[in-house]
Amino acid sequence: MTLLDFALGPGLKWSLLIMIAGLTWRVVGVFLGRWRRDLSRPRSEAVVQGGLRTIITRSAPARELEKNIRFQHITGYIWHIGFFATVLLFEPHIAFFESVLGFAWPGLPSHLALVVAAITLAVLVMLTLRRMIHPVMRMITSTDDYVSLIIIISAMVTGIMASTHMFPRYETILAVHILNVELLFIWIPFSKLGHLFFWLLSRYRIGSYFERKGVKA
Amino acid sequence: MNIPLAAMEQMNVDVAALVTKAQPTEMPDEERVARTKHVFMKRMSMGLAMNLESCINCGMCAEVCHFYMATQDPRYAPVRKFLPLRRFYRRELTPIRWINRLFVRDIRADDLKDWQELVYDSCTTCGRCDMVCPMGIGISETVRLMREGLAAAELVPSELQAVDEEQRENGTVLGIDSNQFKALVAELAAEGVNIPVDKQKADILVLSSAFNLRLFRNSIAGTAKILNKLGVDWTMSSRCFDASNFGYLSGDYPAEEMETLRIIDAARECDASVVIVPECGHAYMALRWGGANVLGRRPKFRTFAISEFIGREIQAGRLRLKTIGNGKSVTLHDSCQQVRHGGLLSEARMAIAALGLELREMESRGRTALCCGAGEGVNLINRAEPLRQKAFSLKMKEVDDTGADSLVTSCDNCRYNFLTGGAKAGWEMPVESLVELVADNLED
Ligand code: SF4
Ligand code: SF4
Repeated sequence: MTLLDFALGPGLKWSLLIMIAGLTWRVVGVFLGRWRRDLSRPRSEAVVQGGLRTIITRSAPARELEKNIRFQHITGYIWHIGFFATVLLFEPHIAFFESVLGFAWPGLPSHLALVVAAITLAVLVMLTLRRMIHPVMRMITSTDDYVSLIIIISAMVTGIMASTHMFPRYETILAVHILNVELLFIWIPFSKLGHLFFWLLSRYRIGSYFERKGVKA
Repeated sequence: MNIPLAAMEQMNVDVAALVTKAQPTEMPDEERVARTKHVFMKRMSMGLAMNLESCINCGMCAEVCHFYMATQDPRYAPVRKFLPLRRFYRRELTPIRWINRLFVRDIRADDLKDWQELVYDSCTTCGRCDMVCPMGIGISETVRLMREGLAAAELVPSELQAVDEEQRENGTVLGIDSNQFKALVAELAAEGVNIPVDKQKADILVLSSAFNLRLFRNSIAGTAKILNKLGVDWTMSSRCFDASNFGYLSGDYPAEEMETLRIIDAARECDASVVIVPECGHAYMALRWGGANVLGRRPKFRTFAISEFIGREIQAGRLRLKTIGNGKSVTLHDSCQQVRHGGLLSEARMAIAALGLELREMESRGRTALCCGAGEGVNLINRAEPLRQKAFSLKMKEVDDTGADSLVTSCDNCRYNFLTGGAKAGWEMPVESLVELVADNLED
């Protein structure tokens, strides 16, 4: 079995399994925690709508708050959108998804996808440096943050290397890229990257919590 | 406004002296940690767990917190303020705790001591950061739990501890007892303001506060004038007239329960269907939103802040005010606990509109309002004075930017801070209480 065979076979299967099982365990574990019913008389009963609303509106906080976080906001958007665009719209990725799912969708022209990936990577590197330099970020950053960043950045670097044939042995770099992505899958449930799911839950929760008091969060 | 200068000066002296009044506490370090963890464990809920799972350490919360904004000191980043709780959660509660134990160290007594300044002096649990966190983390509620953890470890700042002890043991706050209350009632009666006291049965039980009695007696008089004008059936209790809850402020949950139940009992005694809380943010939070949870069921009465009551009466057409606008403009300071946490977004604005005043809104208002820098007991912590003064400067700027003639607020604590902080900064902005403004302009 070559490295690539391993990466596309058992590697992929097990890493996905660990990710799904781990995330399920983590989310279910939180739901199994103590529910504390708030007995106070609600000002608004529309708590479900409030929760759902905040899932959306929190993406664009009030102007007087947003003006203070504009840099983080814009860079955050760029890298999240860039990352998912690269994952979902890069032709070789689509071909891979087609082999698994049985259907495909239109992708970005490969040179454009590369530009998107490069911009995303540049922003990520910049944010990593910011974590190391900015006084607040330095103080609050944990090992988890750095490990997460390293895994994502290296997944992008190996991906770019594979797609541009920068590395002489294509199969090897492709295998390394896939293994790197599998490491990411495994890391997600055990790290802050669990926010892949938690963002929905905690935004919903704060939205309904404040809605109960009559405040749109 | 009419606040006697001598009373203000005496208040400042008494607040400064609080630090010497607290009973010294001795406790072995292990016990402090164990007690804190016990409280964390006992009060943990699914909602809090979600808060503690979701943080991505993005640091955005820092950029909207007045303490960080005013100082640029990274220690004041909101996310840091609940770090010991997060550590505890990650090591002992999260479903992936077994892996976290490899990376996350346990909390130590020194952490708790170091965090005292962060959760008391430099957090008013104002909740502004709750409005920006991209993960939707309720940061202020996690800081509240930190306060409870520290209170269990007897690490409350001395000033708050002193008042908490005073209220728990003597039933007084800042030395105000029922004799002083009765004396004020008699004084006001002599001025023609009638306050019904200790009626056996009344529809409405009205509460006041030690702050009111010591500094803002016109606020009590104003409340009485409004209620008398409305002709409602109301009373005050000479044994339970103070809505302050220093258990709530200091994180001393058993004391919070005691104070809340004291009010609930007083309302039950006179069979009140409504309890009115004075212009006081934390008292509103403790009773309106905390009362049912302390009692274990919804009390029979409904709780209104006085500004809320006024707003409702205006809206119902029962309370009519003189139009005093004449081109005069005001700006409104939203108290964090009543507005962002309490939902009173429109009531004070209704009163201002009914008075025909031009309302010049601040840039941050309502749910995003900037805290005055001294809520949740920060006002009483002496060493926090330079810090809260810096935070206050941000508020002053927002107020000044409106160009309004005066500032209106419906929280005595904020008002006290505007007056003392303003005096220190040589700030000339007149500060008015909503209740007093309304009471002075009731339609004949
Ligand atoms: S804004 Fe929210 S997610 Fe970001 S560091 Fe603060 S608490 Fe954590
Ligand atoms: S609740 Fe207010 S004071 Fe506390 S950390 Fe958040 S913004 Fe700062």
